[in-house]
Parts: sequence; C-alpha cells; structure tokens
Amino acid sequence: MLFNSYLFLFGFLPPVLVGCWALRQKNLRLAFLTLSSWFFYAWWDWRFLPLMLSTTMVDYVAALALQHTDDERRRRLLLIGSLSINLSLLGYFKYAGFFVGSLNGIGRALGAPVDLPDLHILLPIGISFYTFNSMSYTIDVFRRRVTPTKHLLEYTTFVALFPHLIAGPIVRFTDLAEQLRRPRPSLTSKAASVGLFFLACGLTKKLLIADQLNPYVDRLFAHSGDLGFLTSWAAAFGYSLQLYFDFSGYSDMAVGLAWLIGFRFPQNFNSPFKAQNISDFWRRWHMSLSAWFRDYLFIPLGGSRRGPARTTINLVLTMFLAGLWHGAAWTFVVWGLFHGVLLGTHGLLRKLGLTPSSVFFNRAVTFLFVVAAFVIFRAPDLGTAGTILSSMLGFGGLDHAGALHTFLPARFLILLGALLVFVHAAPNTWQIRARPRIVYGLATGTAAAIAIMTIASPHPFIYFQF
Amino acid sequence: MATIRKSVESLATPGILRRRTGAEAEKLERPLEPGVASVQAIGYGRFALATVGACLALLVATLLMNVLVDPFAIAGTGLLPTAVEADRTVKLDLIRKLERSPDIVILGSSRARQGEPSFLTQLTGETAFNAAVTGGTAADAWVTARYVNDRFPRKPHHYIWFVDAGIATKGINPQLAEDPRGKRYLAGKGVSFTLADVGTYIGPQASLASWRVLKKCLLHSCKARLRYLPDGAIARPTLRYLPEHAASLQNSISRLVDAVRAHPPRKPNTNPARYRFFERTLAFMNAHGIRPVIVLNPIHPKVLAVLLKHGFAQRRASLAYLHALHRRYDFVVVDGEDISRWGGSPQQFTNATHINRRNMRRLLRYVVAHSDGALR
Repeated sequence: MLFNSYLFLFGFLPPVLVGCWALRQKNLRLAFLTLSSWFFYAWWDWRFLPLMLSTTMVDYVAALALQHTDDERRRRLLLIGSLSINLSLLGYFKYAGFFVGSLNGIGRALGAPVDLPDLHILLPIGISFYTFNSMSYTIDVFRRRVTPTKHLLEYTTFVALFPHLIAGPIVRFTDLAEQLRRPRPSLTSKAASVGLFFLACGLTKKLLIADQLNPYVDRLFAHSGDLGFLTSWAAAFGYSLQLYFDFSGYSDMAVGLAWLIGFRFPQNFNSPFKAQNISDFWRRWHMSLSAWFRDYLFIPLGGSRRGPARTTINLVLTMFLAGLWHGAAWTFVVWGLFHGVLLGTHGLLRKLGLTPSSVFFNRAVTFLFVVAAFVIFRAPDLGTAGTILSSMLGFGGLDHAGALHTFLPARFLILLGALLVFVHAAPNTWQIRARPRIVYGLATGTAAAIAIMTIASPHPFIYFQF
Repeated sequence: MATIRKSVESLATPGILRRRTGAEAEKLERPLEPGVASVQAIGYGRFALATVGACLALLVATLLMNVLVDPFAIAGTGLLPTAVEADRTVKLDLIRKLERSPDIVILGSSRARQGEPSFLTQLTGETAFNAAVTGGTAADAWVTARYVNDRFPRKPHHYIWFVDAGIATKGINPQLAEDPRGKRYLAGKGVSFTLADVGTYIGPQASLASWRVLKKCLLHSCKARLRYLPDGAIARPTLRYLPEHAASLQNSISRLVDAVRAHPPRKPNTNPARYRFFERTLAFMNAHGIRPVIVLNPIHPKVLAVLLKHGFAQRRASLAYLHALHRRYDFVVVDGEDISRWGGSPQQFTNATHINRRNMRRLLRYVVAHSDGALR
C-alpha cells in the first residue's frame, strides 16, 4: 500500500485516524496502531509479516535480557546473537542473490566458472529500515543509553508504526520512548494542521514534482549511449532532483502522518543541496541513516580520533556499507565508495587548511560532485554510469540538435531550471514558519487535491526498493 | 573472535560519546518540532478545516463534473457524447442494418479498423464486414460473434480475428456493457460504477477528456467526426481523425521504443480468467462450424527489434498458449507481427502500433493466402 494511493488515503488512513483517537486507553491504542501497521505491511505480501515479527521479538527479548545481567561477557554474547540474527536475515534476503551472482561473475572472469544456482529471493519491503530501527534499540540498550521497555506493545508499535515502517525515517527508541510511554490524549488542532501541512507537502513533492520528472529521466538513462555533454548533465540533474523530491516527499508524508496519529518523527532532510561540503551534505541528506551509520559504525570504528589515515579508512568503510545498504548492486557499492573517498579527501583538505572560503564555490562544487555521484546510484550498471559520466566530462561530444530536441523538451528544461533555483533558494518544509491562515489552508488543500488527482497511475517511491 | 569482541566492545563506547565535542554532539541533534509547529498562534483549527475542505471540495467537484460529462462512458449518464469513440454502438447498429449476412467478419481493435471489407471482397469474392472497435477485446469479439449469429442465423460466417501479442485481456469496455445488445451476451456485466472508476474520474485524463467534450460541444457540435461506411469500414475523408494518426511517425516510434527499453514487457498474466472470453468465442465459433483465422497484429520493425532484444516474453507465451489451444479448438494462426513476412512497409504506419490502409491491404492479401481454406 503506497502513501500515494487512493487506497491508503481514503481507505486505510481515515479509519486508522478515527480508531487511533477513539481509543484513549494506552494499551488499546498501541494495540490498534500495531495491528493497523501489521495490516499495512501485510497488504504488500503477508508472507513477510512473520519475518518482521521475528526481528521484533528477537530484539525485544535480547534487550530485556541485556537489562537483566551485568555480566559483560553475557551481555556481549546477547548483543552478538541479536545482531547476528538481524544481519543474517538482512544478508539472506537482500544480499545472498547478489553475492552468488558476483561469485559466478568473478569465476567466469577468472576462467574458472563457479556456476552457483541463481537465487530468486524476493526482497521483503522495508527490511533495511525496520532491521536498522530494531538493531539501534538493542545496541543502545547494550550501551546503557536506553532503558528497555517491558511493555511489548510499546516495542511492537515502535518497530511497526506504519508511517516509518517501509522507508524510514529510521527512528531510534530514544526518539519515541516518551511518546509511546505517554501517548497524547487527543489530536489538537495544531497537530492536525502540522500533520496535514506535511502530508500535503509530501504529496505535492512526490506526485507533482518527482513523478513529473520521472519520464524524462527514464528516457535519458535509457539512451545513455546517445547522450552528449548537455543531455548527460540534464540526466544527472534530473535524477538528483527526482530522487530528492521523491524521498524528501516520502519523509514529509511520514512526518505528517506521524503528527496525525500523535507522534513526532525526526527531520530527515535539511536542504541537502545547500550543503557547503560533502560532510555537510551527509548531515542534511537522509539524516536518520547517516546518523545511524555514524553512531553505530563510524564512531565504534574509531571515528576521527585515530589520525587522518585511519579516519579516511573508517569513512570509506562506513560509506561502502552505506552504499551496500541501499541495494545489492555494484553501482551502490561504487556510489558509497565514491562518497567515502570524497569525505576522506575533504577531511584531509580541511586538516591542511586547503578548503576554499567562498560559500558559493563550496556549494557549487559540492552540488556537482553529489549530482555526479547520483549518476552511479541511478545507472542500471557501472558501464552505463561510466558512459554518462564520461559524457558529462565532454568525452561524448556536444549534443546534436536532434538529440536536444528529443531529450530536452521545453517542459523538462523549465521544470529543471525552476527546481534548481528552488532547491538552492527556498526554505525546506521544516523551515517554513507560516501562521495558520485560512488562505494558506485553502492553498495547501488545493495543492494536495491536485496531487491526489494525479494518483491514477502511481509510481512507487524510489526508496521502497532499498 | 578477537576482532568481533573488539568491535562489540567499541559499540559500548559511552566514554567515547562523552569525549565528543559539543559541536559533534550538536550535529547529532535531529529536531522533532518543525518550524511551522513553533509558531504560536490561534487559528490552527480553521487552517486544518480549510485544508481538508479545499482538498475534498476540489476532488468532489472534479468527480461530479466527470461523472456528468462521462467522457469514458463509465457512469452511463449519457448527457453528452463521450470523448472516446462510441464505435461499439455504431458497429452493432451497422450489423443490425445489414440487409444480407456478411461472409467474412473482421474482429479486433483499432489496429484492425483499417481493414477494408471491399478489398476482402475483391480478394475472395465474399462479402465482408469490419466489426473491429477501439480497444477491442475478446469480450467484444464474443458479443459481435453472438450478435452476428443471432442476426443472421443459419448463415455461415468466416472470421478474421486480429489479436495483439498478449492475445486477450479480460476487460469489458463499459460501452459494450452498457449497450443493450452487448449486455445480453455478458451475463451480469451491466454498467457498474466501481471505486476504481472513482479514481479514474478524479484523474487528470478524465478531466482533460471532459474539458475536450465540453469545449467541442460548446464551440462546435457534439457530432463525432469519424464516420463509418455500411460495411464497417472507415469513411476515407475521416481517416485523418483517427486517434492513432500520429503527427510524427518517428516520434511515436521513439516514444514506444523508449517505453519498451525502460519497462520491458514481462510474461503475460496466465490467469485463465484473462482468456475466458477468448476461449469462449473460439468454442462458440467451432460449435457453429466456423474455423476462425487468428492474425497476430503487426509491429513496427524498430519496436519489434527492441522487444525481441528483451526476449519478447509475451510473444513466446502467446504462441505457446495458441499451440496448446489447438488441441481443443480448430483455428488458423497467421503471424503478422514481422512485417517483412507479408511485404509490409515500415513507412506505412499511422503510428508505432497501427498500420495504414496500404499496409493493411498487403496484410489482408497475405492472410487470405495463408488462411488454409478457412475463409472459403
């Protein structure tokens, strides 16, 4: 069930909102929200619901066991056990096919065919997100930063809550603990307004911007071999903007839905294209994921406290895994490594005092590197990515008039130009501080209605595949 | 083991966390309150009501307009002409008006609409009628075959049935379901406005179609510009009004090639319900001693090349299905997908998926020659 579907907006959401606020008793409300979220998840494929439930139960039990013992060895074993189960499930469902395929490929390249049978494993939707949610809880309990909840419904609601279940933001238990412990008694007009505002913004971003860019971008990437200098840059800019509006639109909808059912989610995007360096970009792009990798991988690896060389290695390793988290494909691995190298290089330059002081220059360079990296992210394979990147560097020559006419229709160029100005100049959804005037309400409702009208042929959110 | 132990220990790094600088700790802050929530003001209730009210009002108004105009003939209001061609009713009317039974009936979608019955008569000496309709499905073929048989009982008919690579779709066009003659053969399949139709009529395509209908009726006239001859052929002067006439054939081909590359067609749905009307029609024809000629619709060579490059699972599945069907039903298959087989010209297309009259004549000549006596 997509957030941008009639079924969700008119079939699922209204009864859930009514049920949620009609049930004032905490246990009933949490049970209702858990069941609704499980139903939401099972609608896609009920066979994977037990998988999510097992991840939930493993971490719930592991956390309680961690709380009940001070024996460090036993605590370590419990953590290893919990992480192993989580990572094994994630590894099997998400990466087994990729590794088998890669082994076969390597074998063929070396002239010693391995010929392992292809695994056709269906990727359970949202597995990367709920596994990371759940793992962060166990690790935080192990670190004694979080007191585990004994209340099973609090925990099942934390893991399964439908606004974040499928594609984040990756919430921590610390974000929701108090909200789960003391659910809000009623839906205030302010919370409803904020929720509706974010929901409308998300729908608009996804349906009226990202989905409108989709056909042009698809067309450009489908003709990677025919692209020249301008069309290849148009492909890169187009996809970067599409991804941003798609995913930040999803995050806005998740935040809005959370407000409507009485929860507050953390910010996930903070105008990432305004970043002044690559580290800044990762503090603004998919903030919940970058914070996760920083807190649970980069810092435990030693962070930036063991000298420049080790810092660079830690960054590259972290970003390699962040890339792999996005998908079981070499394009994601290379995209992650590319960002790791960029982060390491930036760290070194900053230490040497070689970073330029011009804000404009820094923003422009960061943006161009990020956009170039997204080509690798989007391309179906590394060959295609290489072709487009080389065209962006001018090796594909200039575009002939026919290609410009075919690939860059005026509507696409206007949209692209307007969005480039918008992402660099306009405030993001979290920065808007408008007073709740009726005219703004009418405008918000109108935008949402126009967006909903385009639902007839919905495109799934890009991040659902991760 | 030592490495794992060290890594796990490093996860428990409260010391490290404490040592982090204030700036680093600040970076971890992820606010829970957006700016809009920090505005202290009254009037949030009115804002929420205005948002929901405007949204619902606009959606309901759009739905109401589209239901009243009913551009796709889904709601059955019938106040204005539909935006889609009402050719099902037109063709059934023409069959009703026929004075003598046609020997050959052409079935299919808009891709078969270019077939000229008079040309078939030249080729075979038999009278013919073109019953192909826009978006024609197996349900249309079923209704037409039944209606022709009821209209001219005890008269032998031959059928040339043009189908796409997917062979059959289970959809029943609302116009067909609405027509009293169609309704008779589609038990329990009268017009019903479902929730899915609400979605269609909220969508921009329906609104644009309604706008076109309103504009046409207000500024010009509500009459259709596409006209048919008594034998079901399209009247030559109205050919340019065919919706499949593309402004630029090359652009039309490029768009389809792009679409195939971006979303290569997958193996078709093998759900038996999908083929219900197809098989039912074959059974009906065989029961009346008719051996239909199934023609696989031609595909532009550039599009076909891309489809074949991607495996063209639809074609393989359809051929396998037809092959299996031969055990139960008697029919002839003429594969017209590759235009080089029947001397088709890649220039003689009206768009990427529709051939024009010249190519259709070539194809009909080939079909008659390869019909294995089924048209005699």
